[in-house]
Amino acid sequence: MNGFLMSTDRRPMLLMTPALLWLFGLMVVPCLLILVLAFFRRGIYGGIEYTWTFENIALVFDPLYFQIFMKSAGIAGLSAAIACVLGYAAAYAIAAMPRRHQPLLLFFAVLPFWSNYLVRTYAWIVLLNREGLIVNLARWIGYEGELPSMLYTEQAVVIGLVYNYLPFVILSCYAPLSRLSPEIAEASRDLGGSAWTTFRRVTLPMTVPGIATGFVFVFVLSIGNFVTPALLGGGQFQMIGNLVYAQFLTANDWPFGAALSMVLIAVMLGLLMGQAVVAERASGGKRAPDG
Amino acid sequence: MSDAFLSIKDVNKTFGSVHAVDGVSLDIHENEFFALLGASGSGKTTLLRMLAGFEDLSGGDVVLEGASIAALPPNRRPVNLMFQSYALFPHMTVAQNIAYGLEMDRLPRAEITSRVAEILEVIQLGHLAKRKPDQLSGGQKQRVALARALVKRPKVLLLDEPLGALDKKLRSEMQLELKRLQHEFGITFIVVTHDQEEALVMADRIAIMRDGGLLQVGTPQDIYEAPETRFAADFIGVMNFLPVTAGDQGFVARDGSVILADRVNGTGGAIAAVRPERLVLGDRGQNTLRGTVTNTAYHGLDLLLHITTRLSDTPVIARMTAEMADHLRPEMGQEITLSWSAKDTHIFPA
Amino acid sequence: MPLAESGPPMADRNTFRLMLLILGVVFAFLYIPISVLVGLSFNEGGLPTAWTGFSTKWYGALLENDDILKAAGNTLIVAVFSTLLSTILGTLLAVGVEIRRRNGKWLETVIFAPMIIPDIVLAIALLSMFSLMGVKMGLHTIIVSHVVFNLAFVCAVVRARLKSFDWSIVEASADLGGSTLNTLRRVVIPVLMPAIIAGALLAFTLSVDEFIIAFFTAGAGRSSITLPMQIFAMIRFGVTPEINALATLVMSVSVVALALSQRLNKGGLPGQ
Repeated sequence: MNGFLMSTDRRPMLLMTPALLWLFGLMVVPCLLILVLAFFRRGIYGGIEYTWTFENIALVFDPLYFQIFMKSAGIAGLSAAIACVLGYAAAYAIAAMPRRHQPLLLFFAVLPFWSNYLVRTYAWIVLLNREGLIVNLARWIGYEGELPSMLYTEQAVVIGLVYNYLPFVILSCYAPLSRLSPEIAEASRDLGGSAWTTFRRVTLPMTVPGIATGFVFVFVLSIGNFVTPALLGGGQFQMIGNLVYAQFLTANDWPFGAALSMVLIAVMLGLLMGQAVVAERASGGKRAPDG
Repeated sequence: MSDAFLSIKDVNKTFGSVHAVDGVSLDIHENEFFALLGASGSGKTTLLRMLAGFEDLSGGDVVLEGASIAALPPNRRPVNLMFQSYALFPHMTVAQNIAYGLEMDRLPRAEITSRVAEILEVIQLGHLAKRKPDQLSGGQKQRVALARALVKRPKVLLLDEPLGALDKKLRSEMQLELKRLQHEFGITFIVVTHDQEEALVMADRIAIMRDGGLLQVGTPQDIYEAPETRFAADFIGVMNFLPVTAGDQGFVARDGSVILADRVNGTGGAIAAVRPERLVLGDRGQNTLRGTVTNTAYHGLDLLLHITTRLSDTPVIARMTAEMADHLRPEMGQEITLSWSAKDTHIFPA
Repeated sequence: MPLAESGPPMADRNTFRLMLLILGVVFAFLYIPISVLVGLSFNEGGLPTAWTGFSTKWYGALLENDDILKAAGNTLIVAVFSTLLSTILGTLLAVGVEIRRRNGKWLETVIFAPMIIPDIVLAIALLSMFSLMGVKMGLHTIIVSHVVFNLAFVCAVVRARLKSFDWSIVEASADLGGSTLNTLRRVVIPVLMPAIIAGALLAFTLSVDEFIIAFFTAGAGRSSITLPMQIFAMIRFGVTPEINALATLVMSVSVVALALSQRLNKGGLPGQ
């Protein structure tokens, strides 16, 4: 074709090349590298010995480490579940407000998500601290007894994760809810369904992909997280993220750290595929061809 | 070739195995208002885009004033296109939109300013020069798009469904406006349209396209009065079709009557055709039909009668002036006799 | 007041009140921790135990802390350069991808991956590569690493705008005599400019806030420490009034940049 910027023109590839090279060199290659690294042996004094082994992968499933893995999954799962319940309720409530107010409500629901992660986590230290606001509040209303430590607990980590990722769930649940035609739910009411039945049989199934997306993302971001356990968990227990961190920066066992990351990636890919299946089911299976 | 201004020579366009344009040859004269008329998928827009330079030719040539332009990119052709969507630059004002093409030609600032002002006068939008496109009505956008293409004084102006997005009343105003501008600027216009009425009103000549090929080229009168194919007869205006069989005495209709016809196209005539306005009341012509009025449709100036006859499955349509209708007062269920002359009968093959 | 113009049906006034209650609780949960932080940063005494008066002295203290000033400078360098690079690369990528239209699944995955890949994985992968290649790490390695995810976000924002882009204006420009360069310079880029700036602001915020990848690719020593790294180190020593002030400042930068970005770009942020 003679014209510039048209579909059979070869130039689009030229525009894409610099960015694609960048992603190739600084994302694809490094990720492939740690994939390979996961199958090398650890050197005696740290470093890497270039002989093939499955030991690192096997070590991930060693009870000592597998237990950490399961614990991380448990915390991530709990956080994701709580975030989904809260996030769905919030998204539903936003979608129920007059349409002209919705963009602003959504903007303020998401705003914290784009502010600094460390700062948001730190805010909970201020609240949960032994000298923190919650303890002070309890003293102020006259509670004299001993207060259980709230910071550096599993609960604190879960609160931190829910807090940090809730806006994302609100976003992902709001999208399908806002697209829902009120007439569909009205049709259910018209056919005799109660408000609760209508929600359970019509609204919820149609918006389940949003929840699935939210759950998967919170889970994935949580299981690999290392800032929140480090700051709110205070080193009381380890999660996968901390374990990976330790292999690279203190234990100096890169191959094992790489193997842990690979398992993390595998879990993430598995969940993403599951989410795609949920999304397809909810949209009524494969689409009929157009026309 | 004689005096052809723009010559389209055996042009082909294939997309994969689809022949979008299939061996089209066409000569267009200087200062002509030419219409490419066809349904969607007929290849008319592809042909127009090839003239503008947005589609390569799979075969053939396009010659403008004796020189081939087929290999020139769009920005080097002395041809401009008015886009169906108008394609106005949303970030520029009306004046900036119009000036853009002149700036690309590196004309002096003063000349650009005066030419923009001049064309804004012509399209009567001088007061909106500083508006952005999304502050304009549909009709105003249409005129800006036209001005932006016209201001470059192209040798040929291509218009892709120029009035497609306008409402009916505005459309008929703009049909005359386009004709006036074409006359004033003395530029060759090639319009693509699917609206046969628009083509009849505006064009000096019309080419009917179907399946990537040309069906018939001629003046509006030629095409309306002497369609060469059944498709053209049906596509332009309203036409009654009566199935016939060719026999020794001539063409025999379903009820056994013989239909006399002066215009026989092709061989193996199988269908007779006559325009509604050629049917007259009573037994006054060479051909006669009888039937029952089953519907009447009032159109202001005239009245269309739907008459069920034994000659065809679909009702025959006859057109009466309002004056005649007042006099006659046709009623549903009324028996009626119509007739027409042999010179108004067209015969087409099956 | 209409109870519902869209979305799920509102059965009655009570349901509507329940919805308001939910919103109240969720917004309280989202904003109380941040507000407490901001409030404390202006507390003269600095302690959460008592309000002793309004003061900006903790902000003044920040200006006298050389470590923080150095970290802020480093962060600015990283954010500015990674934003510049990722804006150019991401915009070109978006335009290319949208012109081609028919893009393979692998291409979409490669473009999408930087946004979802866990930070820790990308961080150790980059660390491994840089150290195995013997690259000396510092601000430059943080910059090139930040470009990886930043360009994906810029690309997403620009692509969202291109979805509603009327490509016939590109043809119109060519038809009116515009060369390739003129069409890009005078038509395509000006029309995309709000989205490009929105993408750049987003990239800037992400880069200013990013901690994990910077932490792993900064190399040894304190010379290329960034603000989030500094904050992380400070938090580990406990709650101090200076951190409150610093946190408030960092948060304000993100919020202002994001609000600007949102305003410029009606299409919204990725995911919206």
